[in-house]
Amino acid sequence: MLKKISYAVGALALLFGLWGVYIRLFEGEQSANYGSYIGWGLWVAMYLFLAGLAAGAYMLAAFDYLFNVPQFKGTGKTMLWAALVTLPAGLASIGMDLGHMERIWKVYLQPNFTSFLAIMVWGYTIFLILIAVSLYFAFTAPEKKAMKAVMWIGFAVSILVAGGVGFLLGGNGARLYWHVGLLPVQFPVFAIASGAALMLLIVGWFMPNLEEKQRGDLLWLLAIITIATSVTKLYFLFADFTQSLYGGATDNLIAVNYVLNGPHAFMFWGVQIVLGILIPVIVLAQPKLAKNGAIAGLMGVFLLIGYAAARILIVVPGQVAEMLPGQAAAFHGPKLTLDYVPSLMEWSVTSAVMGFAILGILIGMDYLLGYLARFTEAKK
Amino acid sequence: MSNELLGKYASEVFAGLVAPVAEGLEISALAADDPLAKEDVLVRMNRELQRALEKPASERRWVMVIDLRRCIGCHACTVACVAENKLPPGVVYRPVVTEEIGTYPNVTMKFLPRPCMQCENSPCTEVCPVTATYHNEEGIVVVDYEQCIGCRACMAACPYGARTFDFGYNYVEQLPVFDGAIVGGETAAGYEHASQEYGEAWKREGRHESPVGNVRKCHFCLHRIKDGILPACTTTCIGRATYFGDANDPDSLVSELISKSNVVRLKEELGTEPRVYYIV
Amino acid sequence: MKTDKQLSRRDFLKLTGVTGATAAFLGSLPQAQKAIASAMKEGAGNFEAKPENQLYTVCLQCNTGCGIKVKILEGIAAKIDGNPYSPWTLWPHPAYETPVKDMATVEGALCPKGQAGIQTAYDPYRIVSVLKRKPGTKRGEGQWVTIPFEQAIQEVVEGGDLFGEGNVEGLRAVRALTDPELAKEMKAKVDAIWNEKDPEKKKELVKEFQTEFKDHLDVLIDPEHPDLGPKNNQFMFVWGRMKGGREDVVERFVKGAVGSINMNGHTTICQGSLYFTGKAMSAKWNETKGSFDSGDKFYWQVDTANSEFVIYVGVNLFDSNYGPPQRVPKATDAIVNGRKFAVIDPRLSKLAARAWKWVPIKPGQDAAFALGMIRWMLENEKINKSYLAIANVAAQAAAGEPNYTNASWLVKIGKDGAPGKHLRASELGLLTKQTVQKDGKDVTVYVDANGVEFPGDTPVALVGGVPTPINVLNPEAAPVVGDLFINQKVGEFQVKDGMQILLESAQEHTLAEWAEIAGVSENDIVEPAAEFTSHGRKAAVDIHRGPSQHTNGFYNNNAWYVVNLLIGNFDYAGGSIKASTYDRKGSKKGQPFPVLKMWGEEEMTPFGVDMLRTATTYEKSTLFDGTYPTKRPWFPLASDVYQEDIPSIGDAYPYPVKILMTYMAALPYSLPGGQKVIEILADTKKIPLFIASDIMVGETSMYADYIFPDLSYLERWEFHGSHPSVPWKVENVRQPVISIPGWPTVKVYGEEIAMSFEAVFLALAEKLELPGFGPNGFGEGMPYIRPEDFYLKQVADIAFGEKEDGSDSVPEADDEELRIFLEARRHLPKSVFDPDKWKAAVGNDESLWRKVVYVLNRGGRYQAFEKAYKGAQVANKYGRLINLYQEKTATSINTMTGKPYVGYTKYIPPALSSTGEEIKSDGYDLHLITFKTMTMAKARGISNYWTLAVVPEGYLLINSQDARKLGIKDGDMVRITSSSNPKGVYDLKNGREHPIEGKAKVTEGIRPGVVAFPLGFGHWASGSADIEIDGKVVKGDPRRAVPLMANGAMQLDPVMGNVTLSDLAGGSAVFYDSKVKVEKV
Ligand SMILES: Nc1nc2c(c(=O)[nH]1)N[C@H]1C(S)=C(S)[C@@H](COP(=O)(O)OP(=O)(O)OC[C@H]3O[C@@H](n4cnc5c(=O)[nH]c(N)nc54)[C@H](O)[C@@H]3O)O[C@H]1N2
Ligand SMILES: Nc1nc2c(c(=O)[nH]1)N[C@H]1C(S)=C(S)[C@@H](COP(=O)(O)OP(=O)(O)OC[C@H]3O[C@@H](n4cnc5c(=O)[nH]c(N)nc54)[C@H](O)[C@@H]3O)O[C@H]1N2
Ligand code: SF4
Ligand code: SF4
Ligand code: SF4
Ligand code: SF4
Ligand code: SF4
Ligand SMILES: [Mo]
Repeated sequence: MLKKISYAVGALALLFGLWGVYIRLFEGEQSANYGSYIGWGLWVAMYLFLAGLAAGAYMLAAFDYLFNVPQFKGTGKTMLWAALVTLPAGLASIGMDLGHMERIWKVYLQPNFTSFLAIMVWGYTIFLILIAVSLYFAFTAPEKKAMKAVMWIGFAVSILVAGGVGFLLGGNGARLYWHVGLLPVQFPVFAIASGAALMLLIVGWFMPNLEEKQRGDLLWLLAIITIATSVTKLYFLFADFTQSLYGGATDNLIAVNYVLNGPHAFMFWGVQIVLGILIPVIVLAQPKLAKNGAIAGLMGVFLLIGYAAARILIVVPGQVAEMLPGQAAAFHGPKLTLDYVPSLMEWSVTSAVMGFAILGILIGMDYLLGYLARFTEAKK
Repeated sequence: MSNELLGKYASEVFAGLVAPVAEGLEISALAADDPLAKEDVLVRMNRELQRALEKPASERRWVMVIDLRRCIGCHACTVACVAENKLPPGVVYRPVVTEEIGTYPNVTMKFLPRPCMQCENSPCTEVCPVTATYHNEEGIVVVDYEQCIGCRACMAACPYGARTFDFGYNYVEQLPVFDGAIVGGETAAGYEHASQEYGEAWKREGRHESPVGNVRKCHFCLHRIKDGILPACTTTCIGRATYFGDANDPDSLVSELISKSNVVRLKEELGTEPRVYYIV
Repeated sequence: MKTDKQLSRRDFLKLTGVTGATAAFLGSLPQAQKAIASAMKEGAGNFEAKPENQLYTVCLQCNTGCGIKVKILEGIAAKIDGNPYSPWTLWPHPAYETPVKDMATVEGALCPKGQAGIQTAYDPYRIVSVLKRKPGTKRGEGQWVTIPFEQAIQEVVEGGDLFGEGNVEGLRAVRALTDPELAKEMKAKVDAIWNEKDPEKKKELVKEFQTEFKDHLDVLIDPEHPDLGPKNNQFMFVWGRMKGGREDVVERFVKGAVGSINMNGHTTICQGSLYFTGKAMSAKWNETKGSFDSGDKFYWQVDTANSEFVIYVGVNLFDSNYGPPQRVPKATDAIVNGRKFAVIDPRLSKLAARAWKWVPIKPGQDAAFALGMIRWMLENEKINKSYLAIANVAAQAAAGEPNYTNASWLVKIGKDGAPGKHLRASELGLLTKQTVQKDGKDVTVYVDANGVEFPGDTPVALVGGVPTPINVLNPEAAPVVGDLFINQKVGEFQVKDGMQILLESAQEHTLAEWAEIAGVSENDIVEPAAEFTSHGRKAAVDIHRGPSQHTNGFYNNNAWYVVNLLIGNFDYAGGSIKASTYDRKGSKKGQPFPVLKMWGEEEMTPFGVDMLRTATTYEKSTLFDGTYPTKRPWFPLASDVYQEDIPSIGDAYPYPVKILMTYMAALPYSLPGGQKVIEILADTKKIPLFIASDIMVGETSMYADYIFPDLSYLERWEFHGSHPSVPWKVENVRQPVISIPGWPTVKVYGEEIAMSFEAVFLALAEKLELPGFGPNGFGEGMPYIRPEDFYLKQVADIAFGEKEDGSDSVPEADDEELRIFLEARRHLPKSVFDPDKWKAAVGNDESLWRKVVYVLNRGGRYQAFEKAYKGAQVANKYGRLINLYQEKTATSINTMTGKPYVGYTKYIPPALSSTGEEIKSDGYDLHLITFKTMTMAKARGISNYWTLAVVPEGYLLINSQDARKLGIKDGDMVRITSSSNPKGVYDLKNGREHPIEGKAKVTEGIRPGVVAFPLGFGHWASGSADIEIDGKVVKGDPRRAVPLMANGAMQLDPVMGNVTLSDLAGGSAVFYDSKVKVEKV
């Protein structure tokens, strides 16, 4: 039942998304709401979100293959697969953000390695390959040294790239709100957290063949991870904001103000905090509820939504402070504004990306993984 | 976001620019005393430009100096730049920020023109994944429209908000067409496609043709300089507040100006080493 | 020196070794980068620096008229920069003789509007066909049909049932009087009638007229009042912005060819009272008549560059005025070089923001401030007495002064104590009238006791207490240096001199009281006064619209000019100077083409009372019945009273108009109370036929019956002239530099020429066979069949200069310059540029032609920089009598009160009705004023999207204190209402309304109680609204429909009701005397 709904949601999302993709590809970026002052919007945020998700998923896969945590036994393939789907989804999201995506090849053939963006593209491409290889070994030679080796490398890389996206923003010395030393440290934590949330969802809703006892224990373990990371994240937020407000650097004040009581404060209080942290933490703190697949899965969904919102609330506020105060009033024109709400086209494209991710994961779990398993068995 | 905040910051920026009582520099063409001793600074800078062009490119060091005491906030530079480079709606290289300061009747206005600072240590170029924006041989930060993938990383990196993205808008092209009755959008739009940036013809037709989809910025009017014409914002500055020239030429006006005590650069603390100086 | 931060960044990159990696990749340095590099070397595709791609002409975005260099790329104007030869854009301007090719990379400064000019020329909403109001639809409904040019001309000439509304008289019918001889004779008789003072005899003369011309009375508007003139006068031509050349053609057509007296410009909406204060103060002494002739319509400005201290009064120098590129560099030079200036303005203009002192005066109270200063200067003896005492040319010459005043001339004081006429020598018996023989003729002369001869009766001054006749003009006569501050009896006459009259006027109030009236502190007056009087003659007061556009504008201006006069700064470097231009009319001896006098056939002599009642006086006319007030005011001291044009037609006073033609005028938009103008324009009963020349469907032409497309300023000829703040002798030549792709041409006199304003006149003239146009228009074998036939002759006059022997002419263009001249015009169609026809227009005289080319290659003629000054004085002087006391003014009657105008510097309260009453405006307690922003020019700026990007819409400036009271926040939409417009809307007719609304801009930079809005926004036509042409909708552009235009909320004259308040002396339309209410909507 839940799965059917998920399939439907995925399909509808993809369908609605195709319209946006069409507009974006054939009519260009005028119908997007990001502009010249807030140049990075929903799509960049979703890239951070999905890339982080992939990294997180991979880390959790490592719980199975590297650390042999019993509760995770047998979930590795699924998590690797989830990573293999969410990462391209993320790359697609940022791809759509490029004014000239047809030139993306240049990043591979003519890269500038002082550019963290270039480094990240390369990093994630390598990571993508590692995921694929890991998955390959997961089927062919799960117990072999090679598998372990690859997983170790992948695990390390996953942490690096997760931190890297943090640097992508934090590296901008002029953007005080991003330029907090901890950002690269925060992002791996975010990654694990979002990975765990994804796993709550997958395990809670889509893993019928998992033996009940293990599912319960696993969900409970994930719940604990979630609670731990959530608390850490809350601390990060608290630290960041109080430090900013206390320090009183104007750009920071503007940004933090924008988050806490700006035009879109609901995104923070309502979505990121209440829906994305408080509710799940409270619910998952009760073993009985945490071990209930349906509920745990739902909490996973809440958490994911919360994390997505959190990404937006990192990307956008970092740009609302004018680099030159008064600039926005000095010259007028389309896309020269300091407020940002994603346009329908932007939502649509993101919806396509999400639809792709959801369907990708489901189809993978229901057909591909099974098929691959049989296929590799047969070969032996 | 709250206006006081902006206001506060604005004042802070300008606070850094409050004039020390420095002696006014004598660039008057017709000082009350000796009318004929002088020439318009525009003519002088033009001569100096020709002189600089005789040197190898790598030996020039182009800088711009803006005298905030002389700036009257007329925006001629802003518009001249738009006209020179046929900048489309939403793209601007040199806004002039205006701020009202004080309370009635003790109130005044301040104006801050802002071209690209042509930072010697430029965050924008470092973040470009494909080296589409870089220092050319003369040290000017250019954008190679054919190379740029439009990722806007440079926009995020620029501490001066000096970069804007070309979303493919036009000013008049889309306006009504009615042959035999009015001139019409299409005929009128001819000039919108006459950009000569970087010495190339940018027809900029269609929704995807560069520089549409690229980040754009001030380039010190490279295409004019190389033909011995001063930047558009400089020649059109009716306040004679904008000066341009080769800082490696000890006799140039700009060298003279930036050696004065009342010179500042924006956001020095970021270590970007701007090539644009302000006289306050 | 580098900061650690960068170091660490660099180190980090090194550490990660990526720089090395990068280097490896840079082997594949992207292709396009190389492309750029090489492009930059070869200069591929660049066109800007080539003289063959550059044409010099004159900007008309605003009226400053800066020289411009238009850069042509593949036939289109790709960029506009400053003309380096022009004193407007470079300071000092380089030598005129510099070869054009050497100027290829040199360019001067322009303001943002000048930079955006391309968008005026290439405005999508420009019309390219004659538009006719769709028959069956109302004026202003916005329904048009395109018709062929020839048909339009046919209909305008012959009239008929043109709109299914019944018969309309055409120009042929209206031009009832066609016989030039008859016109002459009638005019002579009418003059006789006017000069007859006795009412009875006047009646007699009218009878005589009627009998003498009994067979021709049908050509008159009203045989009972022959002095209203011929029906021809019922063709009226009204223009807004028009410059030399076109102005001369209009005069040729309207007066000389059609024979109508009615052609008026927009002077009084502009800085009217400034011109007419100048005219009154420059009234000329006529030594044979022993009385004053009219002065010149002109005004003085400050020699910005050389003043050590300037008081700018209602001068918006850093946003508008005449004009930014020309005056700003001199003012900013003053800033950095510590030359002070003060700004008197209720609003913190950008100029005020840079001033040594900003005085936010109460609007309209300038005279109070000035009289305060005058009182302080007089009582502290801070005046140039020796200069003021000089009473005639002889004394001026002796003292080496550039001019002199009538300050010491005695004025007779009436019983009521009011100053009247100057005392005449004969009245004291100092001179006696005699008739003597001069080469066979009897001439009357005046002779004094010692037998010294005077050409006529003279004014008198006390010299050492002795009454002395003043031979005013003769340099050889006895110099007269008169006593000042006289108040005594001379003979039986109670007399005072100008200074005494001024002193008493200034002493009407104490300094404290003057300050109180002006709404400033006493110190605000004394400080500038002290500074002003400590720079000798290198200090000056510069005035413009601020003091001028009030009901008391004439007296505000006069008070400020007198402040200048007291230190005698006129014609001095750094003082008050006037404009001077090369003669473009060929009126100087030896000039090749005296165009105004060149008539192939005899021209018409127009006569009669003009629609604006300016050319003659009520008392002279047959309309005078001894009663006052008149239905509408007469203007003995002003002309071109723009605000009166349409309302006078509305009231058919003094007579109805049948055909109205407008040119480049936005009357309903630009005039205060414009909504009243619309009522009349839209009424076919009041204006049976309405023709407009326009480049788009504008605020005026939207009510026209026919709109003829005009060329933009980049496509046409004009002579822009100069401004008083320019010390050099110049003439700016506007010439065609582009042609819009597919621009229509028409055939007139067999010639193919561009559709244009000129084409309309040529075609009408052809059809009506009018004198002064056609194959022999200028004389036998001298055709006037193409626009340039006229204009190039004027260029030739300018090129030749003003010396009979030609020694003042410009050099001939050499072959290289001739080549550049031709190549630079290679993109122009033959209909616009045909070298042979151009050369023929100057009589195929090779030498003259090359001189013409020389001038055209430079976009005008400019005197050498160093020629502007002779020692401490300017070279191009005003150089004659300046009237401190104005006898002519004092003897002119205000026809609304029946009383004479005040002839001296006096405080008169602002905001009075035409009959001099105060205006009730209870409940409306904010004072509305207006100003210009740098990026907007007039009604015309709205098509310039580049400048709209800087200031996208109009706004209402309001002080934070007032805003708080009214609960208005920055950016709130507000509506402006007044007792004259309680609804706060323009009624556009046909059910359309335009709200007087806009966003509030809360500021500290305006006097509390005063609100202000900028000109240029709030359009309802000019491409801002949909119109229908041939049944097809042309969508308006929302970017042009932005608020705010509040002229419609300005105070109407309560007496006439259909016109704005006016300054009856100076003629000004009043922009700054309205009380309004501002409400949030
Ligand atoms: N940008 C631009 N420049 C222009 C033009 C344009 O349309 N746009 N037009 C040109 C033309 S045609 C003209 S006539 C000139 C006009 O040149 P200016 O007269 O210098 O320009 P305005 O903007 O009309 O300035 C009127 C000033 O008077 C102030 N003022 C209002 N009421 C009073 C008062 O009672 N007393 C005093 N002392 N000041 C008062 C206003 O605040 C404003 O600053 O500008 C020319 N230049
Ligand atoms: N609120 C406010 N009102 C003002 C002023 C102000 O400061 N504030 N300033 C006043 C001043 S100083 C002036 S001078 C007047 C000016 O006002 P006007 O003399 O009435 O003229 P413009 O506003 O220049 O409008 C000219 C009109 O002619 C048409 N036109 C434009 N270009 C051309 C052309 O090339 N050829 C022809 N044939 N027609 C053309 C357009 O329809 C345009 O609307 O405005 C006055 N009005
Ligand atoms: S053109 Fe000159 S005076 Fe005008 S705003 Fe720019 S810098 Fe300032
Ligand atoms: S100002 Fe901005 S765009 Fe210009 S060089 Fe510096 S960082 Fe780059
Ligand atoms: S937008 Fe273009 S120039 Fe800027 S960083 Fe990206 S690729 Fe480089
Ligand atoms: S130098 Fe050229 S590109 Fe840069 S702001 Fe000035 S005009 Fe624009
Ligand atoms: S001041 Fe007036 S004439 Fe001069 S450039 Fe600006 S708009 Fe043109
Ligand atoms: Mo004007």
